[in-house]
Amino acid sequence: MLSFIWTTSIALSALSLAVMLLLILRRVLHQRRTIDDADGRKRLLEALIRFSGDSDAGALQRAIGSVRPHVAVDSGFEFLALLRGDEHARIVGILVESGLASHIMAQLKRGNEAARIHAAEMLAVLPPEPGIAELSAALDGDRSREVRIAAAISLCDLGSYQPLQLVLGKIGVRGQRSRRLIELFSRFSSERVGELTAFAVREDEPSFVRAAAIEALARTGDLNLADFFRHAAGDPSSDVSAAAIRALGTTGHPDVGAIVAEAMASKHWEVRADAADAAGRLGGVEMIDALVGLLDDEEWTVRYSAGRAIRQLNTTGLDTLRRLASSDSSRTQRMASLVLGEGQAA
Amino acid sequence: MITGWSDQVIFGVTIVSWVVIGSGMAQTTVYLLQLVIAGYALSRRPPVARSALLWRRYVDVAPPIALIVPAYNEELNVVESVHSMLALEYPNFEVIVVNDGSKDQTLGRLVDAFQLTRFERPYDDVLTHQPIRGLYSSPMTERLFVVDKENGGKADAQNAGINVCRAPIFCVIDGDSILEPDALIRAAQPFIDDPERTLAVGGTIRIANGSRIESGRVKEIHLPTRLLPLFQVVEYLRAFLMARLAWSRINTLMLVSGAFGVFRRAEVVAVGGFTKGSMGEDLDLVIKLHRYMIDSKRKYRIEFIPEPVCWTEAPESLSVLARQRSRWQRGALECFFRYRSMLFNPRYGRVGFLGFGHILIVDVLGPIMEVMGYILMPAFWLLGILSFEHFLAFTALVFTYGVTVSVCSLILEEAELRRFPRARDLAVLTAAAVLENFGYRQLNNIWRVKGYWQYLRADQNWGEMTRTGLSGSPK
Repeated sequence: MLSFIWTTSIALSALSLAVMLLLILRRVLHQRRTIDDADGRKRLLEALIRFSGDSDAGALQRAIGSVRPHVAVDSGFEFLALLRGDEHARIVGILVESGLASHIMAQLKRGNEAARIHAAEMLAVLPPEPGIAELSAALDGDRSREVRIAAAISLCDLGSYQPLQLVLGKIGVRGQRSRRLIELFSRFSSERVGELTAFAVREDEPSFVRAAAIEALARTGDLNLADFFRHAAGDPSSDVSAAAIRALGTTGHPDVGAIVAEAMASKHWEVRADAADAAGRLGGVEMIDALVGLLDDEEWTVRYSAGRAIRQLNTTGLDTLRRLASSDSSRTQRMASLVLGEGQAA
Repeated sequence: MITGWSDQVIFGVTIVSWVVIGSGMAQTTVYLLQLVIAGYALSRRPPVARSALLWRRYVDVAPPIALIVPAYNEELNVVESVHSMLALEYPNFEVIVVNDGSKDQTLGRLVDAFQLTRFERPYDDVLTHQPIRGLYSSPMTERLFVVDKENGGKADAQNAGINVCRAPIFCVIDGDSILEPDALIRAAQPFIDDPERTLAVGGTIRIANGSRIESGRVKEIHLPTRLLPLFQVVEYLRAFLMARLAWSRINTLMLVSGAFGVFRRAEVVAVGGFTKGSMGEDLDLVIKLHRYMIDSKRKYRIEFIPEPVCWTEAPESLSVLARQRSRWQRGALECFFRYRSMLFNPRYGRVGFLGFGHILIVDVLGPIMEVMGYILMPAFWLLGILSFEHFLAFTALVFTYGVTVSVCSLILEEAELRRFPRARDLAVLTAAAVLENFGYRQLNNIWRVKGYWQYLRADQNWGEMTRTGLSGSPK
C-alpha cells in the first residue's frame, strides 16, 4: 500500500509533466499559425473595406482565398454585422461563391458547441438554400439545446417556420427555461401571432414560456393584442399575469384602468408592482386612489413603484404626494416623502 | 527494519503516521477527483464565442445588473477602476461604489473625477448596515452612483450596496480589481439561459502582477516577474479551474469569490445578505444560499464559469501574503463551525457530504495534519521509529502528488482555454507548478495553522492589505 502510494505518485507526476511538455510543443507550433491567422484577418478586413469603395469582387475573392476558411468566415461575418442593404448582399454573394457556406455547414455538424451556435447564426445571413435543410437537421438532432435554440431562431430569420409546438418539442424541456425563447418568439411573423397567443393561454404549458410569449407579443406593439393581454392579466400564474400587465402598460386598452386596478389587488407582489408601473406609464389619474393604497404595501418594491407612478401623474400626482408627505408619520407618508425627494438621476 | 524501540512506541508512532498519511490521502483523493470532474466539465463546455457575438445574441434579453464596488482607502485606483467599470460591454448596468468610511481621499477623488453631486434615491432598507451619509450621482453618466457611509467593513458596505441597487441581479467586485470588458455579459449567460434556477455565478480571478495595464484595462498579459505572485498564479489556476469548476459541475460549489461574483438579489436579501464581521463573507453567503434553497425545497444552480475574468493584484511580500492566508483560513473555519449542522446531514445532500466534507478535509483537518507531518514524519524516520516506506508515502502525498495536481490544472488550462499568450509562459508556469510544492506549499500551511490559532483566540483583525496598485505606483 505504502509503496503503491509512492510509485503511483511518481508515475502520475511524470505523466503530467510529459503531457504538459507536449502541450508546450504544440503551443510553439500553434503560435506561428496564430500569428499567420492574425495577419490574414488583417489583410481580409482591409480587402473588405477596399471592396466597399471599389467593389472589386475579384480582389476580395483572392483575399478570401489567401486565408484559412475559419479566418475568412470569422472576419467576413464580423464585417457583415456592420452592413445592411446592397453591400451586405454583395459580400454575402462573394462569401458564398468562395465556398465558405460549406465550411459553415461543416462547422454546424462537427464543430464544438460554441462553433455550432455561431454556424447556426451565420447560416441565417446566407441564402435560404441549403441553410434551411442544415438548420432543420440541427434543430431536429443537435445534442445541445443552445444550438437547437440558435437553429430555430435562424430558421425563422430565413422565413422557414415550423409549428410552435413542434419547435418547442424539439428544443426540449430544459431549453424552455432560456430567455432566448423571447428572441425566438419575437421573430414570429405577424401571420403567426395567433399561434403565439393560443400558446400563451394554455395553462398546461410552463408559465415561464407563456410569459416569454407574452413578452415577445408585447414587443410587436400591436394594439389589436390589447384584448388578449387583458384576458391574460387575469391568469392564475403570476409570471403570465405580470407579463400581461407589463404588456398592457405598453400597448394600452380601453378598459386598462379597471384591469390594472384589479391587478393592483393581486396576491402576488410582482403583479402589484407591475400594475403600479403600468398605471404610471398610462397616466390614468383615475387610478390614483389605488396607487395611494399601494404606498402602504408590505413589499418595498410595490410601494416604490406606486410612489413613482403617482409622481408620473403630473400636477395631480405631485399634489397628492405632497399632501401625503406632510401627513402624520406612517409608511405611506415616508414613501411619499422619499419619492418626492428623489433626484432626477435616481 | 525498526529496532531499539518498545512495541508501544512503535505502535503509537504507526498510528500517528497513518493518521497523517490518511489525511493526506483523503486530500489527494479529493484533488484527483476534482481534476477528473473539472476535465469532464471543460470538455463538455467548450470556450464560448467572441464577446461581439454574445452581445448580438443577448443584447435584448440580458437582465439589468448592478455592479457593487465596496471601496475602503482606495484613492490610488478608485477613479481608474470606476472608469473601466463604466466602459464594460453590457447593455443594462449601473455601478454603485460604496465608500466605506475611507480615511483617505477615496470619496474626494470620485467627487472630483465624476463631478458628483448629492441626490436622493429611495431604497429598500431591508439589510442592516452602518448609516449612509449621502448618495451621489454624476451628471457625466447616469450609470454611476456613489454611496458614502460610515465604516462597517466589506460585508457591511456590500449590504448597503444591495439595499440601494434596483437591479434584480448584482455583481460584487473589489474596488481595486479590473473586470475584462466582456466579463459581465459572459457571467450573465447562465441568468439568461436558465433564469429561474440560476442563483449565483462566479468567474475567474486572475493575477495581474506583471501584466501591462493602461486606463483600467489589461493591455498585455505577462506573468509576474517575482516568484511569490508567480506561485499564486498556479495556485489560482488550481483553485478556479480545478476546484470550483468541478464542484460547480455537480452543483456543490461552496464559494463564489467576493472579488467577482454575480448574485440574484431577492435570494441574497432573503438570507440576510453578507454576514457582517465575517472573515469569509463570500463563503458564508454561498453556504447560506445553499441552506435556504434546500430548506425551501427549491431547485437552484450556483455556477462557476471560467470565461469571465476579473484581474486582481496578488500580494508580493511574504508578510502580506501570510496575513491574507491566515485570514482566509479563519474565514473557512468560522463558516465551517457556524454551519456545522450541515456537515454529513442527509437533508443537505451533496452540499452536506461533498461540500462540507471538502472543507473538513482540506481546510479544517488538512493544514494541521500536514504541518504535523512536516515535523513528525522526518523525526520519526530519523529516530528509526518509522519505516522508510511510511516516510516515502508521506513525501509522495506532500510533494509528488502536489506536482501532479498543479501540473494537471495547467494542462486543463492549456488544453481547453489557452489564456496564456506565449509558449514561454507555459514553460515558466510548469516550472512554478513543480517548484511551489517545495517550500511555498509548506509556508502556506504554516500560515493556515497560524490562522487556526487566531481563530481559536477569536482574533478578528483583518490585517493591513498593502498594495502597490495595479497601475504600478506605490500605495
